[in-house]
Amino acid sequence: MSTAAATAHAGHAHHDDRSFVQKYLFSTDHKIIGIQFLFLSLFFLLIGAILSLQIRWQLAFPGQPMPGGKLLPESMAAGGVLLPEYYLQLVTMHGTFMVFFAIMLLLVGVYANFLIPLKIGAHDMAFPRINMASFWSAVVAGLVMLSSLFVTDGSPRAGWTMYVPLSARHDYSGASLGQELWSISIIFFGLSSVLGSLNYITTVINNRAPGMTWFRMPLSVWALFITAILGLLAVPVLAGAAIMLLFEQILGTHFFDPSAGGQVLLWQHLFWFFGHPEVYILILPAMGMVSELVANGSRKPIFGYHSMVFAICGIAFLGWIVWGHHMFVSGMNPTLGSSFMVTTLLIAVPSAIKVFNWMGTMWRGNLRFHTPMLWGIGFVAMFTIGGLSGIFMAATPVDMYIHDTYFIVAHIHYVLVGGSLFAIFGGIVFWYPKMFGRMMNETAGKVHFWLTLILYNCVFFPMHIIGMAGHMRRIYDPTIYDFLKPVQHWNVFISISAFLLFGTQIIFFLNFWLSMFWGKKAALNPWEDNGLEWSLPSPAPHGNWDTPPTVYRGPYEFSVPGASEDYIPQNKKLPTDREPALAPAHGD
Amino acid sequence: METTHKHPPYLMIWLYLAVLTALELGLAFQLPISRNLKLLLLMILAIWKALLVGLYFMHLKFEKWNLRILAIVPIPLALIFIAAGMSEHIW
Amino acid sequence: MSQATAAAMSPPFPAERGVDVYNKKLGMWIFLASEVMFFGALIGSYVILRFGAPGDWARPGVVLNIKITAFNTFLLICSSVSMVKAYAAIADGDPKNMRFWLLMTILGGACFVGIQVFEYIHLVERGFLPSGVRDGSELAEMVAKGTIPGATMGLYGSTFFTMTGFHGFHVTCGVLSMLYLYLTKALPGKFTTQDYAGIEVVGLYWHFVDLVWIILFTIVYLV
Repeated sequence: MSTAAATAHAGHAHHDDRSFVQKYLFSTDHKIIGIQFLFLSLFFLLIGAILSLQIRWQLAFPGQPMPGGKLLPESMAAGGVLLPEYYLQLVTMHGTFMVFFAIMLLLVGVYANFLIPLKIGAHDMAFPRINMASFWSAVVAGLVMLSSLFVTDGSPRAGWTMYVPLSARHDYSGASLGQELWSISIIFFGLSSVLGSLNYITTVINNRAPGMTWFRMPLSVWALFITAILGLLAVPVLAGAAIMLLFEQILGTHFFDPSAGGQVLLWQHLFWFFGHPEVYILILPAMGMVSELVANGSRKPIFGYHSMVFAICGIAFLGWIVWGHHMFVSGMNPTLGSSFMVTTLLIAVPSAIKVFNWMGTMWRGNLRFHTPMLWGIGFVAMFTIGGLSGIFMAATPVDMYIHDTYFIVAHIHYVLVGGSLFAIFGGIVFWYPKMFGRMMNETAGKVHFWLTLILYNCVFFPMHIIGMAGHMRRIYDPTIYDFLKPVQHWNVFISISAFLLFGTQIIFFLNFWLSMFWGKKAALNPWEDNGLEWSLPSPAPHGNWDTPPTVYRGPYEFSVPGASEDYIPQNKKLPTDREPALAPAHGD
Repeated sequence: METTHKHPPYLMIWLYLAVLTALELGLAFQLPISRNLKLLLLMILAIWKALLVGLYFMHLKFEKWNLRILAIVPIPLALIFIAAGMSEHIW
Repeated sequence: MSQATAAAMSPPFPAERGVDVYNKKLGMWIFLASEVMFFGALIGSYVILRFGAPGDWARPGVVLNIKITAFNTFLLICSSVSMVKAYAAIADGDPKNMRFWLLMTILGGACFVGIQVFEYIHLVERGFLPSGVRDGSELAEMVAKGTIPGATMGLYGSTFFTMTGFHGFHVTCGVLSMLYLYLTKALPGKFTTQDYAGIEVVGLYWHFVDLVWIILFTIVYLV
C-alpha cells in the first residue's frame, strides 16, 4: 500500500554515518541493543543447559564417571565422578544463570528493547545512552558470574535462592570468593535491570506515536510495561539484600546471624519479596508475546483485550503480596502464612482469565499453524499445567509435604520452560525477519517444536510423580534412600530425555545461525500482522521512522468483515478513519 | 497547569524545617515521656519534614495527580515488607 | 514553566499525551521510585532487626554524636534550600544567581560528606565497626561496664554503617553530578530559561537524598 512504501523509502533516506564500533558495538540503537542482548542471553542459556546436563547425569547415574568428566579438575570430579561440592555448585549456578542471565535477559533485555519503540511508533528509547549502559552492565554482571566458576573453591553452593546462613558463611558452604562474586554480579545486574526499566517505562508513557492511546497498545507492550514497573520496584530490594549478604561475608556484619541478634528469615523475606514479583517478570512478557502470536495465527482479535490488560495489572498488583508462599515451611509466623495462602490462591484467577481468553481467541479462528503459532499454543497448554501444579502449592498444608521436592521443580520448569522459553522461541522465529531481514526455515522450525514439546514433557512431567513420592531437591545421590528406590528409574528416563532434548536444540541453533546468512529474504510483513513494526523494512533502519506513523486503530484488527484483507495494520488509513487528536505541546 | 511565575515561599519552608528539627532534638533528649509516645512524635515530625521537602522543594504539590501517584506507589510496598517482617516477632 | 521551555524539554515529536512531564524529569521520578525501594529494603531491615532484637538497643547519643549530626542534618536541609533557589533563579531567568546557589549546594553537600567521613573515622577509633564493637576499644569497655547493652551492638553496627554508608554514597554521587553540571553547563552559561532540565532533574535527586536523610536521622540517631 502506498503509505507503507513511502514510509519504507523515507526510512532508507535517513542518513547514517556512524562507525562500525558506534553502529554495532557501543550502539545506542534499541534494535541493536536488543540483538546484543539476544546473543548474550542465548550464550547464557547454553551455559545453563550444559550445567543441567551434568546435574541430570549425576541423578540418573550416581557414582558413575560422567562422559567428559575427566576434563574437570579433581576438586570438582574425582576421576570423572562428580563430587557433592561440585553438584551443589551446578544446581546453584544452573538456577542463577537461567533465571537472571537467560530468561530475564531474553524476555526483557531482548524484547522490551527491540519491540517497545517499534510497536509504539517511536524513533528509539527515551534514553538511548542509558540503554547502552544497561546492556554493558549486564555484560559485566555476566562475566563476573561466570568467573565464579573458575576461582578457588568454585561457585557458591547455596542454591540460586542463596539462603543464609549457608550462603553467608564460608565455613558452612565451602565457597569463598565465588560467593562474593555472586553478590557483586547481582548488584551489577540490578543496576542494568533498573536502568532498563526506567527507560521502558518513560518511553511507553511519553513517546507513543499520535493515535497510539493506552488501549490501542499491543498486549506485548502492556506486558513489557507492567513488567518494567515490577522490575523497577522489586530489583532494588534484591540489590539491597545482595549488598547485605556481601557485607555479611566481607565486613562481618550480623544481619542474618542469630548469635548476634540477627534474623535468618530476614534474608528469605527480602529475597522472596523480590523473588515473587521476579517470577511475574519472567512470565508476563512471555504472555504478552503469546497474545501477538496467537492472535496472528488465529487471524482473530484477542478475545477480551481489556480483560487481558486488567489481568496483567491484577497479576502484577497481587504479585506483591504473595511472597510468603515460598516460605510456608520456614517457620515463619503461621498467621502470616495463612494470609499468603489466600492471596496466592487469588492470583490464579487473572492467570486463568488469560488462558481462557487465548482459547477464546483461537475458537473458530482461521487458524494458521505456522511455527510461532505452534509455540504460542504450546505455551498456553504447558503454562496451564504449570499453573495447575501451582494451585497445589498455594495450599499451605499440601505445600508442607511437597516443598523442596521435585514437584516444585516440575512446576518451575513447566512455567519457565513450557511457558517462558516456548514463548521466547516463538518470539525469536516471529521477529527474526524484522531483526535480521531473513526468515528462519519453517520446516526446521516445526520439527524443532514437536521434538522439543514431546521430549520436554518426558523430562518434566515425571518430576511431578517423583516429587509426590518424596524425591527432594538439590540432592546429590537419591539412591541412598530406600524409599526413593522405586522411583529411581524415572530419574534415568528423565535424564535420557534431557540429553535428547538438548540434542534437539541443535536444530534451533543451526536454524538460527544459518538462516542469518542463507535464509529466505524477508518481505516487509511476512506474517501479515498489524503491528507498527511490520510497516518498516526488514531489518528496520536506524531511527525507525523519519516521521512518526499515525495510529488509527487497535492492534488486533484481523478478519474484519468487509475489509479487503484479513488484517488491517494499525497505521493504515482507511477512508472512514479520522485523524487522532494530537496531544497539546507539554507545558500549556 | 503548574504555577508558572509564583514560587512557593522557600525560606518559610526552610524555617519550618529548622523548627521541626529543633523540636525533634528536644524530644530525643529532654522530655520524660514514655518511649512509645516519643517514638510516635518523632515519626510524625520526620514525616512532616519529609512531606515539606517532597511537596514544596520537589514541587509535587503543583504537579499532576498521576505524577504524585508514581512518587507514592513504592511507599505502601515498603511498608508491607516491614509489617510482614515485624510480624515474625508478634507470634 | 514557560511555553518555550516546555517545548524544548518535550519529546522530539508530537506524541500521545503522557503525564505531561518531559522525558528527563519523568525518568528521574521513576528512578527515585526505585531508590525508595532500595532504601526501603535497607531501612526496613533495620526496623525489622531492631524490633526483633534480643535485648535493649543502645540509648541515643551514647555511641553516636547527635550534636554534630544535627548540624549536618541542618546543613543538608540548607543545601536543599540552596538547590531549590538555584532552580527558581534559572526558571526566572537569572543564571548568575543560579550559579551562585548551585555552588552553595555543591559546597554544602561536600561538607556533609566530609563531616560524615570525619564521624566514621571517629567512630572506628572508638571501636564501632560494621561487625559491632572492637575488642579492647573504648566502646568495649563501656559494654563491659554495662553503659551499652552488648547483645545488640552487632546489629547496631551492621545497620548503622550500611544505611548511612549508602546514603553517603548517594550524596557523593549527587555532589559529583552537580559539579559536572556546574563545570560543563552552568559556568559556560548553557543553562537558560529555555533549557534548565539538568538543574531541575539533579534538584529532584538532591531533594530526595535530603528526604532520605531526614528519615534516617530520626530513626537511627534519635530513637
